[in-house]
Amino acid sequence: MEGRPRALLERGLCSAVDAQWLMMMMMMMEGRDCLKSYDEVYSGLFDEKGHRKDGREMKEARAMYARGNFVSQAKGSSYIEMNKTKVVCSVFAPREISHQNEFSTVGQLFCEVKFAPFSCHLQRQPHVPDAEEKALSVALRKALEPTVCCHLFANFQIDIFVYILENDGACLAAAITAAGLALANGAVPMYDIITASSIAIIGDKMFIDPTEREEHLALSSPETKQNHGVITMSRMHGLKQIADFRQIGSLDVDCILKATDILEEECNKIVPKIQMILVRYINNGIIQQKKLAEAAKEREAALKIKMKEWSSSIIKISD
Amino acid sequence: MVPERLQDFKLKPLKCELNFLSKSDGSAILSQGDTVVLASVNGPLDIKTTSQNIEKATLEVLFCSKEGKPSVADRFKENVIRNTCETAILGCLYPRTGITLTIQELENYGGLLTCAVNCACLALINSGVGMRHVVAAVSCAVNEVGDLVLEPTQQEAESARALLYFVFDSRDKNLVTGFTEGTFSEDTYEEALVRCRLASDFVFQFYRDVVKKYSNVI
Amino acid sequence: MAEIFKHIYPSKYFNDYISRNVRPDGRKFDEHRDVKVNINAITSADASAAVKCGNSTVVCGIKLELAKPKAEEPDTGFLISNVELLPLCSSKFRPGPPSDHAQVINNIVSDIVMNSKCIDLKDLCLVHDKLAWVVYCDLVCLDYDGSIVDACIVAIMTSLKTLLLPSVSFDAETEEVKVDTSARLPLKIHGLPVATSFGIYEHIPRNIVLADPSAYEEEMCGGVGANLIVCWNKGLFCGIQKFGGSNLSTEDEKRTLVLAKEISKLVEGVIETCIKNDKVK
Repeated sequence: MEGRPRALLERGLCSAVDAQWLMMMMMMMEGRDCLKSYDEVYSGLFDEKGHRKDGREMKEARAMYARGNFVSQAKGSSYIEMNKTKVVCSVFAPREISHQNEFSTVGQLFCEVKFAPFSCHLQRQPHVPDAEEKALSVALRKALEPTVCCHLFANFQIDIFVYILENDGACLAAAITAAGLALANGAVPMYDIITASSIAIIGDKMFIDPTEREEHLALSSPETKQNHGVITMSRMHGLKQIADFRQIGSLDVDCILKATDILEEECNKIVPKIQMILVRYINNGIIQQKKLAEAAKEREAALKIKMKEWSSSIIKISD
Repeated sequence: MVPERLQDFKLKPLKCELNFLSKSDGSAILSQGDTVVLASVNGPLDIKTTSQNIEKATLEVLFCSKEGKPSVADRFKENVIRNTCETAILGCLYPRTGITLTIQELENYGGLLTCAVNCACLALINSGVGMRHVVAAVSCAVNEVGDLVLEPTQQEAESARALLYFVFDSRDKNLVTGFTEGTFSEDTYEEALVRCRLASDFVFQFYRDVVKKYSNVI
Repeated sequence: MAEIFKHIYPSKYFNDYISRNVRPDGRKFDEHRDVKVNINAITSADASAAVKCGNSTVVCGIKLELAKPKAEEPDTGFLISNVELLPLCSSKFRPGPPSDHAQVINNIVSDIVMNSKCIDLKDLCLVHDKLAWVVYCDLVCLDYDGSIVDACIVAIMTSLKTLLLPSVSFDAETEEVKVDTSARLPLKIHGLPVATSFGIYEHIPRNIVLADPSAYEEEMCGGVGANLIVCWNKGLFCGIQKFGGSNLSTEDEKRTLVLAKEISKLVEGVIETCIKNDKVK
């Protein structure tokens, strides 16, 4: 994931001559870190007690709110909120792949990730997807491909759309978890539930479930040669398999191994939540189905009585 | 203050020529005052499967402005004309086909959209496509004093407090399309609607005259 | 069974309901769906509102920028609204550049906001010919279940009403701009336009008017874009729009206008209460 804030900063700097941009930057960047040195920004990530700026401990992930059935028009959908990071995902029923000459034996996933124009502190977006959106879309598809039973819908494609309403770090992890939930919610055949988590590493500090600032700093290179980078990992809980592993930055092997263990644990922590949501929907569905079946039975009984009345009246007339 | 007689209305002089284009299935050139519009209809024709509708004909409208550059405003006009004409034609007679309606602006001295709708309707009549009813568009402006002006000129439209556009059907004079610009009161709206509805008779009479004239030739 | 029938023969399914004087979702013909408003849910925007009208969901986020006013109109600022119908909100929309339908919706929404004159663009100008606010209102549809214009207008008006403009000082000599985000002032809003949509269903003996149609009802009433949209602001109309679809008789039209007035009063009440509650928080 190419750092969005960094790209922004670069763009901001190169057009700094543009007075309009500068005015806007001065206004919006107030309290932001474009003019501070690396160390200043680094120390800005912590409060006096050594906690993170939002009061979390280093190992503490943000509380997650998740729900399904968010979009009424979609087959399956979900909404995930991790404090300020807010993601919506919807999945549509498989449809035939258009404009394709050859028959493909496995189904395809079409993923699109989009940022809301107001999702970041700076910048407005044109209609065309930018580099980061494209990268995220590909990352999402790669993560989901191993989990969906693609062989079951040959020559068809499933559309998965993710919309990021607000971005405050770990948006790829949120997108993958949301898409996994939406797919399950839409009854798409899957091998397992997929959950994802991410970690930002700066030196010996590991930020679990990083915010945008932490991610940004982990991606910008310091002067000393220390570990820095962001890892996003998605995992299939039941199969104990890693579906996708994405690392940006420069990290040594020990660090990566350590991070993998931590991420595995974090991914597992999310699973019960997702399972609970899915079970609840299935329960509701079964109750609904029962009610409908009962209603249908009643209707049928009423109809039978009517039929008897009619047939008897017909006999009377013919007599 | 609803005028009682039709003669009280002054619409811009209407002039029309049918079969203006020789290659299309139906065409009409219409001038309303100094505003001139040319419309041509082709169809029902075969179209690509993706845009086919199994229940009715697909109407495609292309509006070409004088400048030739496509704009959002043109899309808006296309949308108005397409939705209006879709109601007017009996699309269910020609399922899985397409009818193309091309409209070319020639001169614009105000009232372009009303002229375009009327011209499109004449071209459809000329093409012989089955129609539920014909339609007539009439516009109306509310000037600074609050008086209603039918068929405003360009200057009147620019200085107006509000502009109201209506399209009526020929059968029951019901509202097919209507849209407005600016703010106005309920009474103004009602009065404008009544006046425009009466004025639409003028346009329908004109349609009849045109068709009569051309059927004599045949 | 009913679900399957709905897919096989949608028009008959719908007609059966209408003939029994009820809509598929159990509403009466003139009943509208509940409106829910959530204010300032998105912290990265300068003002925001999430609106739910039944299932239809629209989120509006406002971002502020500074710019030089246009040379022809040196005293006016900019209010730019954009409606996005995402592919995620309905299978009708495909990814890519905005569809014709999205452009039309966008046109209607910005026309209503401009025509209602609820915002004087001169209020957005800070320094004559030098500095003005650009208010970008981005409306994104997350769930398309009909009457999207209504939801868009509620979302944009609620966010504009809660928008606080930072104070700006401008040095005429050095042309230096200082923005103080701690001292913020609300934007002046005149009135509160509310739009109400109606679907007109072709039915014998007379056409039926459905208030606040859902996506499925819209489809039965002549497809997307054939709604009658009535917009009220302070007892005046600021937009009545109807593009094709089934025809509207005079009596129906009068009844619809009365109904629109009632509904818009209710919706206005909802918005005002939500803003008040938000301020208390």
